[in-house]
Formats: sequence, structure tokens, C-alpha cells
Amino acid sequence: MPMETLSQAQVDTVVLTMADVAIQNEAHFSELDGVMGDADFGVSLAAGFKVVKANWASFDHSSIGSALLDVSKAITANTGGTSGPVWGTLFMRTGLAFRGRTELTLTDIVTGLRSAIEGIMKRGGAQLGDKTLVDALDAIATSLADSDASGQGTLLAAFAKAADAAYAMRETSKGWIAKRGRQANTGERSIDTYDPGIVAVGDMAQAIVTALSA
Amino acid sequence: MKKFVDDPALFVHDMFEGIYLANQDTLEWVPEYNILYRKNMPQDKVLIMQGSGSGHEPAHSMIVGQGMLDACCPGNVFAAPPMDYVLECTKILARTPNKGILHLINNYTGDRMAWDMGKEMAEAELPDQEIGVVIVNDDVAVQDSLYTVGRRGVAGNFFVIKACAAAAEQGKSLAEVVAVGEKVNGWIRSMGIALSSCTPPAKGTPIFEIGDDEIEVGVGIHGEPGRRRDKIRPASDIMDEVFTAVANDLPYEAGDRVAVMINGLGGTPISELYLLYGLAAKRCAERGLVIAKNYVGEYCTSLEMQGFSLTLCKLDEEIEGYLNAPAAIPIRVF
Repeated sequence: MPMETLSQAQVDTVVLTMADVAIQNEAHFSELDGVMGDADFGVSLAAGFKVVKANWASFDHSSIGSALLDVSKAITANTGGTSGPVWGTLFMRTGLAFRGRTELTLTDIVTGLRSAIEGIMKRGGAQLGDKTLVDALDAIATSLADSDASGQGTLLAAFAKAADAAYAMRETSKGWIAKRGRQANTGERSIDTYDPGIVAVGDMAQAIVTALSA
Repeated sequence: MKKFVDDPALFVHDMFEGIYLANQDTLEWVPEYNILYRKNMPQDKVLIMQGSGSGHEPAHSMIVGQGMLDACCPGNVFAAPPMDYVLECTKILARTPNKGILHLINNYTGDRMAWDMGKEMAEAELPDQEIGVVIVNDDVAVQDSLYTVGRRGVAGNFFVIKACAAAAEQGKSLAEVVAVGEKVNGWIRSMGIALSSCTPPAKGTPIFEIGDDEIEVGVGIHGEPGRRRDKIRPASDIMDEVFTAVANDLPYEAGDRVAVMINGLGGTPISELYLLYGLAAKRCAERGLVIAKNYVGEYCTSLEMQGFSLTLCKLDEEIEGYLNAPAAIPIRVF
């Protein structure tokens, strides 16, 4: 296992980077959603993350977990459609896992992500392979767990590898049939399209690596 | 759109302010989370809360009181409460020593997710607090719809609240109150008809278009499409269809006792509601159903929509007893 830990300041960077990616890609993500869905994904996601940025200073920053729980509340309340509960659950489950913590090991991060994936699957009913953001998150968690088990390399190297895995998932899943969310209504026509949630997670993961390297 | 409103975005807030100012002897108000709760919260009983959207008044913001809800936390007009409303409302109830907290949830996808999350957060923050759930889904009109997987929860919700609350006041355990709620939910069947649309203040335009001579058969309480669009017909014809759909959905035997509700959707005069009740009562008699309780008025509305819904609730001695138990809430004593 890599020896370093992720500090609270670095977790803050992770969240704010995710927010920036969502806000900067508002039109792009909606466009991807428009291919097979109802073209509101980018707008919904950006709306939630804009509130996260606007209210950031007022959040409870006494621990990583408390801040993530406040992020979760803001996302859930301000993100339209099912994206609110789905992305809110990502931050709620990690927030609950990291309560009282001011730094995280790679093992902690894998545990938190696994809990988030389980929560999102329960909430939205998605399974692995349904062509949703769960597939991208699972690719990240699996890659991070592998790095953790190998005990080789730095935390940042593990993140970079995981981001590549998320990026690879967008291409892998392109040929799949969407089985959940609005995209699923189109059945086989969803083959050869990108799932906007998977793309967003991949873009966020790449941006997080860049931001943490800076 | 013509409405009595100041800032449309503050419509729900301003309504809550009015409810609170009119009932300061019995209610407390938490404006940030649309929460109203009982001022003298009774101790050592199951405490019951419900949210759903606003725009369905008197459900749920005007039915907090003895023998009905202990607290409510509805979202904006026709919007599920955000999960922190559910969390904060649960935390307020948990301050009073209790036999458990019951979340009553109408079956809509957004509500299910928000309450699921709020419950999960509450359980993490209050590890010793027992929380139970009853899902209400009484609408026979359609199986899945715009905002649901499965049947929608509509006006039959009243019977679940009334029975659960009476059971709770009698000191029943959380498991017993949940069982009462599930039993009543299994015995309520509803369907609605709309003559007109309605306009959420912050939206400013009607939620759907409907012609002067048209009706929506099986309309949802957020204006969701029902079974079909039809032409206006005599009330007897409409009641024939609605009564048959509702009564045929549950096996009834001659001699069964029922409660009958004619619920106004917000813009229907009481005269028409009683006319409809007469038609429903005659059809009950034809089937040999004994009307033990009747409810005619507004219980679960869609703002100013013209229309009604019929609910039949099958009764046994236990449930009839709960419906007859005393209650005191801002708008009506049952």
C-alpha cells in the first residue's frame, strides 16, 4: 500500500475540481444526453455543483466527512431529476464513511467508493453493465483496490491509473445497450453512443489527477 | 395566470407563514425546511411524519395535529422534499422520547429516493432512533406513470394517516403501526377525473392543456396523464366508470363495510362533490356495500384543478375504530 494519505485540503481540491468540470461542461454533457436522453443532464449537474461552490464556505469543514455530507445535501436539493439522488448518494455514502476523518488512506478511499457504488445501485436500481456512471465508478474503485493490494507506487500514480480506467470505460461501454435511466428508453439505439454519466465521471477523474499534480 | 401571490418563488413559504400564524397555539414552524410540527409533542408514542409535495393542501401542511400527523416537511409545489427536509424533520421528532418514527411516503420516484436518503442520513446521525416506513399507492388508474414505478399515492393517503395516527395515539409499537398502515394501504383504492388543469405559481403556466369539452380520465395529482382523454359526459356516466374501476380492483363481498371519500381536486364546488357522493352511494348500495363512514370535501388537491377523486377504503372493526378516533387539526376535526 502506498504510504501517503490524502489530506483534507486535497479532498477539498477533489470536490471543487468535480464542480469545475460539471460547470465547464454544462453544455457538452447536455449535448451528450440529447443524443439518446432528454438533454438536461449537463444543466442539472451544473446547477447542483454551482450551489456547492457558492455555499462552500458555509459547509461544516470540521472533517472530510462533514463537508462531504453538506455537499451531498446541496447536490441532492439542487440537481434536477434522478441525478440529484444519484450524485447526492455518492457524496452521502463517502461522507458517512469519512466522518470525523481529516486524512484518508487508499484503503479508506476504496471502502468509501464501494459504499457509494452500493448506495447508488440500491437507490437507482442500476446493475453493473447497465451503462450508467456506476460502471465508471466501479472501474475507478477496482483500479484503486488493485493499486492498494499491490502496495506499489504513489497515491497519485494510483489515481492516474484509476482515471485511465474510468476513461477506458467510456469506450468499452460505448457498444453496450443502456438499461437504466432515460437512455434505456431507446433500447438498441443506445448502442454506439456515450453515456453522459460515464463521460462525466471519466472527465472528473482526469481533472482530479491534473489538479492534485499541480 | 391570476393568483393571490406576492413573490411566486416564496408561495410555499408564505402559505406556511399563514398556517403558522393561524395556529400558533398548536404548531411550530421551521421555515428553512418547510417543517410544521406539533407544539406540545406527545411523548412515548410512535411519531408520524409525511412530506410529499406542496400544492395538495390540506395534505400535508394543514393536517398536523392530535390524531393526525405529528410533523410534515413537504417540498415545493409538486416537488418531493429534498432529503435534508426529511433529515431535519426526523431529528426534530427524535428530540421527544418516542416509540419510533414513521415515515409515510406517497409512491413517486422522487419522493422514494429523497425519503430513502433522508432516512439513511437520520439513521447515521441517530443510531438509536427506530424509523419505520409505509408506502402509499392507492391509484388504480395506471400502473406506471410520469413520476412513478408502480401505482401512485393519492387521496387514499388520508386513511393511512388517520389509522396509523390513531393506532399510535393508543400506544401501539412501531411495528404495529406499520402493520396498520400496510393493511389500510392494501384496502384503499382511488381514481381521479380532471375537468381542468392547474398552474403552479412559480411556473406561471398550466401543467397541461385540456379543451373546454374534455376530461382527463385517471388524472394524477400532479396533472400526470391517466388512462385517456375523453369528452365531458353526464356525471352518472363518469361515476359509473370511476366506481367500477375502483370497486373492481379489490375483492368485495355484499355486506362489506366501507368508507367512501369524494375528494375535490381544488376547484370543484362542494355542490358538485355532494352530487358525486350521491352517485357513489347509490352504486355502493347496488353492490351491497355498507357505507360506514363518508368523507366529502378537499383532502388531497392539485392547486385549483377542477375535478374529483373517488376513494373506497374497506373496513374491519379495527380500522373503523381508528377512523372514528378523535383528531384535531388546523382545518377540520374528524
